[in-house]
Amino acid sequence: MRVPLRWLAEWIALPDVAELAERLTAGGLEVDAIERTGPDLSALQVGLVRERLTHPNADRLSLCKVEIRSGELREIVCGAPNVDAGQKVAVALAGTRLPDGTPIKKSKIRGVTSEGMICSARELGIGEDQDGILVLDEAAEVGARLDRVLSAGDHVLEIAITPNRGDCTSMLGIAREVSAHFGGRIELPEVSPEESGPAASRDVRISIDDSEGCYHYVARLVRGVKVASSPSWLVERLEAAGLRSIHNVVDVTNLVMLEFGQPLHAFDLAALQGGEVRVRAATAGESLEMLDGQTRSLDVADLVIADAERPIALAGIMGGSNSEVGDDTRDVLIESAHFAPARIRHTARRLGLATEASYRFERGVDRAGVERAAHRAARLIAELTGGRVATGLVEARGVTCPQVDQIELEPARVNRLLGTDLAASEVCSLLKRQGIEILDQDTGHLRCRVPSHRADLALPEDLIEEVARIYGYDRIPTTLQEGPLIDATRPASWRPVELVQNSLRAEGWIEVASFPFIDPQDLDHLQLDADDPRRETLAVLNPLADRESHLRSSLLPSLLRLVRENLNRQLDHVALFELARVFRVSKRGELPEERLWLTAVVTRGEEHDLWAVPEHVPLFFEVKGAVERMMAALGLPAVLRAGSAQPYCHPGAACSIVIGRRILGETGELHPEVATRFGIDVPCAVIELDLSAVASLPAQAPGYHDVSKQPLVRRDLAVLVDQRQPAGEILEAIRKRGGANLIAATLFDRYEGVSEGKVSLAFRLTFQHAERTLTDAEVSKAVDRVVQMLGQRFGGELR
Amino acid sequence: MGVEIPKLEALEEEARREIDGSANLQALVAVRARYLGRKGSVSGVLRGIGRLAPDKRTRVGQQANAAKQRIEELVVQRRQALEQGEHARALSEHQLDVSLPGAGRALGHLHPVSLVMRDMERFFCSRGFSIEEGPEVETEYYNFDALNMPAEHPARDMQDTFWVEGGFVLRTHTSPVQIRTMTGRKPPFRFVAPGRVYRRDASPRHSAMFQQIEGFAVDERVSFADLKGVLYAFARHMMGTDTALRFRASYFPFTEPSAEIDFRCVFCNGEGCATCSQSGWIEWGGCGMIHPQVLRSCEIDPARYQGYAFGMGLERVAMLRHGLPQIRLLYDGDLRVLDQL
Repeated sequence: MRVPLRWLAEWIALPDVAELAERLTAGGLEVDAIERTGPDLSALQVGLVRERLTHPNADRLSLCKVEIRSGELREIVCGAPNVDAGQKVAVALAGTRLPDGTPIKKSKIRGVTSEGMICSARELGIGEDQDGILVLDEAAEVGARLDRVLSAGDHVLEIAITPNRGDCTSMLGIAREVSAHFGGRIELPEVSPEESGPAASRDVRISIDDSEGCYHYVARLVRGVKVASSPSWLVERLEAAGLRSIHNVVDVTNLVMLEFGQPLHAFDLAALQGGEVRVRAATAGESLEMLDGQTRSLDVADLVIADAERPIALAGIMGGSNSEVGDDTRDVLIESAHFAPARIRHTARRLGLATEASYRFERGVDRAGVERAAHRAARLIAELTGGRVATGLVEARGVTCPQVDQIELEPARVNRLLGTDLAASEVCSLLKRQGIEILDQDTGHLRCRVPSHRADLALPEDLIEEVARIYGYDRIPTTLQEGPLIDATRPASWRPVELVQNSLRAEGWIEVASFPFIDPQDLDHLQLDADDPRRETLAVLNPLADRESHLRSSLLPSLLRLVRENLNRQLDHVALFELARVFRVSKRGELPEERLWLTAVVTRGEEHDLWAVPEHVPLFFEVKGAVERMMAALGLPAVLRAGSAQPYCHPGAACSIVIGRRILGETGELHPEVATRFGIDVPCAVIELDLSAVASLPAQAPGYHDVSKQPLVRRDLAVLVDQRQPAGEILEAIRKRGGANLIAATLFDRYEGVSEGKVSLAFRLTFQHAERTLTDAEVSKAVDRVVQMLGQRFGGELR
Repeated sequence: MGVEIPKLEALEEEARREIDGSANLQALVAVRARYLGRKGSVSGVLRGIGRLAPDKRTRVGQQANAAKQRIEELVVQRRQALEQGEHARALSEHQLDVSLPGAGRALGHLHPVSLVMRDMERFFCSRGFSIEEGPEVETEYYNFDALNMPAEHPARDMQDTFWVEGGFVLRTHTSPVQIRTMTGRKPPFRFVAPGRVYRRDASPRHSAMFQQIEGFAVDERVSFADLKGVLYAFARHMMGTDTALRFRASYFPFTEPSAEIDFRCVFCNGEGCATCSQSGWIEWGGCGMIHPQVLRSCEIDPARYQGYAFGMGLERVAMLRHGLPQIRLLYDGDLRVLDQL
C-alpha cells in the first residue's frame, strides 16, 4: 500500500521519515521502499543577496553579489524584477543542474560573467510563478541545501501489509499504528453529512437473502448530482496513492476507501429496477458485464448485488456496467457493506480478479466503520457534485460477524512465552497504545476488549504478539535454551549420502541440483517399456512449462539434459551427479512413493585429457572404477554383475550393482539410441543407485582380523583364452581353486595381440600362511592346480 | 726372499696412486685385492716376515701392518668419494619437469547448498536437535490446514503452490514436517527438518525450487528469547561471528508471535546498497512461537507446552559465501559456475 506522508500527516503528527519507516517495519508493517516525489533540490543552495547593482550593459538585468559561504561573494546576473539586497534566495551554482535537468554553466551575459542562477518557483519545479525569483524565508540558513529548507514534493511509503492486518489498508489504520508507536492523537476528517429532502428509504429498499455472505449493508442516497471530473486536490491525492481518477463520484468512493479502509460502490439509482437492492447468491447461468467491460459467468457460490431483476454488481469485487454512474446520472446510491471475507476471496480467486475492494474485504473490514464511510462519502459527493444527501440511511443486516470481542490475558504468560520480565502495568500500557481496552485487571488476569477493527485478535497469544511488537522484538532478551539432554539423531540416508558425495567428488565429478519435473516423452526417450513402473508418474496440474508437466520417476532425463546443455557450452569433460527424490504413484489416495536416488552421468569428449586419464582406459572402466570405489566407501560388499536390464544402458557395456540378491543400481555406457534422443554425441556413461535401499542396509564398521607376519609369495600367470571369455569368471575360479593359502588374486594385464580370437590375461597370485613360511613346493602345487583348472574349464593355455 | 723397508714404502706409494686412480667402485675393489687381498702384495710382505732375521721381524712387521692400515684407510676414503659421486650422478640424471600437472582428475565439487547443509547439521546435532525429513509431495492438510491455513485463508496467497494430481501439493515449505514430527511425540524435543520446497514462481529473484530448513523445539518454558538465542548462534555459525540479526514483527498463520529475521547486509555493512535494496538488511527467514492451534493439531496441550519454530532458505548463505548474484545459478547446472564453487 502506498502512503503519501503529507496526507498521513493530516491525520497524525509524524516523526522523521527514516524513524517512522524503521518503527513501522520493526512493528510488522514492512516499509519496502520510501519514494520521493517532487523535484530534487539537493544540488541547490540558499544564498543571501548581499548587494544588487544594475547590470552595466543592460538596464533590465541586475548584477547580484550573493553569499553562499561566509565571506565569499558570487556574482550572478539576474533578470527578475523582484530581486533585491537582503533577500535569501535559491541558488544553482555553475556546474549543478536544475531539478528539470538543465545544466547551469558559468556564462557571460552582456559582457559580465555570471557564476550561477537565482531561481524562480517554476525553475525549481515547485510552482507556476515565473514572474520573479522565489524569495525564501528569512530564517533559512545561508549555504544550506535547498531540500532541507524548502519542502517540495512528498515522501511516499510503500508498505507491505501482511494478510492479518486488513485494518492497516487505510490512512486511518496507518495513523493508528503511528499512534501506537509514537503516541499522538488522530484527527478524523469531517464525516456527518447535511441531510435534506425525502428519506432515502422512499426510493430504495435493501434486503439480504444470503445472510451468511453479508453481515451488514448500508446505503446512502445523494440526489441531484452533476458528474464531472474531480478537482485537482482529489486527483493528486488518488494518484499519490496509486489510483487513477475517473470522475468526482467514483473518486470520492475511492478516496474514502483509502481514508477508512472501507470499500464503497456507487450505483446510478435510476438503473435499479424496482428500487430494490438484494444481496444474494448468484443463480446458475447468470452472468454480468462488469465495469472493466468484460462479461463473466457467475457461480452459485458467488455473492452478487442485484436489483429486482438482475445482478448489478459482483459483491465486494466490482460493479456491473448496467448500474454504472455516468454523465447522465442524477441520483447516486452509495453502498457501504461488510461481506464475509471467505466468500469474496473464493470468487476473486475463481475469476482471477483482484481489486482494491476485494483485497480489503478478503482481509476483513472494520464492522463498526461501515456507516461512517457511507456518511463521509455522501458528504463529499454532495460537496463536489452539488447534490443533496437524502435523509437517513437504508440498511439491512445478515448474520453477526463472528469476531472475538474480549480476550483474557495472564501477564505471567506474556513473560513465560516471550522470555521477558514485564510488569503487568507495562503490559497494560502496551496494549492500550493500540486501542485495546483493559476492562478488568484485579484478578491477576487482564480482561481485554478488542477494538472492532482488529478482527485478527482472538487468542491470548495474539495479544502477546501485540505486546511484543510494540515493546520491540529487539528489546526481548537473547538467551540460551535450557533443558534436558536430548540425543540428536539423523535419518539413515544421511550417512550414505555423505559418503557418496565425498567419493564422487574425489573422482572429480560435480554435484548438481535440478528441478523435479519431466515430460512423459522423456521416458519414451529412455526406451522404457510400456509397463515399466517408472511410467506411473504424477502430473503437475499447473506446471510452469509444458515440458515440466510431470514429477520425475527417474533423475536420468534431467541429468542428460544438463549434460547436453553443458556440451553446448563447449565443455568437453562433463561429469555430474545428483542425489534427489524420485516420485511414483502409490495406492489410491496415498501419498506417492518417494525414493532417494543417485544418478551420475559422465562423458568423454574429443579433447580428452590424456594426462589425467590415459586413453587406454575406456570410459566404461573409468566409471566402473568410480562405482567400485564408491561402494567401498559405503562399506558395502557390492558385486558388479555383467549386463543390465535397463533399456537405456548399452547392452554390451553395462553392469548391475548387486548386493546380496538385490539389484540396487546400474552402471554402464548410455545406449547409443538414447544418447541420440538426448542430443549427446560423445561417449557417455551413467551410474544409478537406489540410496533409499542402501540406507536400509545395516551399516557396520569393518571388523579386524589378525595380520600374518609370514612372508608373501607372489606368482604371475599369463593365460591365453578365447577373447569372448569374461575375465571376471576366470578370476573368480582362480580364487576358488587357489587353496587356503591364496590370499589375493588380481588381473594386472590384458593383451590382444598374440593370436587371432585370443586374449592373453595376466594374473598375479599372492600366497601367505598365517603361522609359517610357505615352501616352494606348496606354492607350486597350488599354482599347478590353478593352471590345470584354467586348461580344463576355460581352455586356457599358459604362455 | 728378503723384504726391505724401502720396498715397502714404494709399494705403499704405488697403492696410493692406484687407489686414487681407480675410476669406479669396481676398479677400487680390484686395487684393494691386489694390495690387501689374501694374495696381495702387502699381505705377501707380511707373510714373508717369518723368513726375516729375528731382529728385523718386529720392525718390518710393524711397518708392514701400519702400511696395510693406511692403505685400508685410503680405500675406505676413496670408496666414500666414489659412492658420493655416483649418488650425485644418479640424482642429477633423475630430472623431472615437475611443472607438469599431477596425474588423475582434479577434485570435483559438492553443491554449495550441500556444503551449507553439512554446516547446518553440525550446528544443530551438537545442540541436541535431531534431523527429520518429510515427503516433498504433501497433502493439503499437512501443508496448509494443520498449519492453521484453511482453504480460504488469504495467507495461502503468500505461497504460490504447485498442485499435483490426486489432490496433493508440492510442499511450499518444510513446515509440514513440523506437524508430522510433533504428532504423537511427547515434549521436550528439538528438531530440524531440511529439504527441497517448491513455489510456483519463476521470477528472476526467486527459484521454483529451493531448499529450506525448519527448526522447532517444544518444552514447558522454551521462549521467544530462546528462539532469538538459537538463531543468533546459528547465524554466527553459518555467516561469521560479526553477524547481526534483526527480528521484526510479521505474520505467519502457524506462529504467534511471529517475526521475520533479517541479517545485516554483508556487502555494505548495513549502510544500504543494491543487494539489500538500500535497507541495510537482507531477509533470511521467518520464525515465531508455535501457534496453539498447531500444537493442538499435533495433540500437544498448549496450556502446558510451548515452543518455537523457524524456517529459512539455505541458498542465501551459499550465495553470500561465494558471492553469487542470483539464486538460479545454483540450479541451472552450469558446470562453468559450479566448477568454481
